[in-house]
Amino acid sequence: MNEPRAFDDIKIGEEFVSPGRTVTETDIVVFAGLSGDYNILHTDAEHMKTSQFGERIAHGLLGLAIQQGLAGRVAAELAELPFAALAWKFRAPIKIGDTIHVVSRVTEKRDGERPGWGIVTLERRVLNQRGEVVQEGETEHLIERRRG
Amino acid sequence: MGAPLETPGLTLTQAHVSLFDGLVGATARDADRVPDLLPLCVSSGLGWRVPQPPLAVLAFMGFEWRFHLPLRVGDTIRSRSRTAAKRSMKEGGVIFEERDILNQRGEVVQSGRLTLLVAKRAAA
Repeated sequence: MNEPRAFDDIKIGEEFVSPGRTVTETDIVVFAGLSGDYNILHTDAEHMKTSQFGERIAHGLLGLAIQQGLAGRVAAELAELPFAALAWKFRAPIKIGDTIHVVSRVTEKRDGERPGWGIVTLERRVLNQRGEVVQEGETEHLIERRRG
Repeated sequence: MGAPLETPGLTLTQAHVSLFDGLVGATARDADRVPDLLPLCVSSGLGWRVPQPPLAVLAFMGFEWRFHLPLRVGDTIRSRSRTAAKRSMKEGGVIFEERDILNQRGEVVQSGRLTLLVAKRAAA
């Protein structure tokens, strides 16, 4: 299967395109139950009919979590690295039935604070079925300099 | 701007981890390690469990976040937040919220700053 890669093996500019995933009503209901975030944006279909969105939308953090799972399906060795930092923008709503995928690209590698560890930066864009960016950001991950 | 607001605690169990992994698609980790993105997700719900009514959030615009310490199954987290700045806009107000996630020993395990679009006044 996927061998974990070390810092020295990762190349700047490497890009990974994930498969798609259709976000369902069930995903939103399960996420509301798990997170405890019952904001009407995600849970009140009647109220949301009158909103600017016209219907319930997925929690932003659900989209973030789903793209993490999707990223793991094309670049497990990167997606499994511990997070060090994250900067994220929610650009557009994800609605029930939308199909999203994530494009991740390695943009930077640098030394970490801990000896023997580096930091790798990924730029990620989450796109819907129309190719619109719904979320995007940068994630920084801890990675071993060399696997011995 | 406003005193920090601290939520009740939530013990992260194997059930939380399994539900989260099942929902998002698991990635391999040590069995008892909590997925890095899970505490942030539950901290939003924890914010609903304080006496003060929740913000009338219209949209979550973005956030910056740092991960300081890993969490294990059985750890109990709580969230502490304060409004760092606010700015009035045409359609609503933008609130910058600073949030820390603490473990049972009071250590900050994750922290950051969230940008939220909030209704100017409560819906009728």
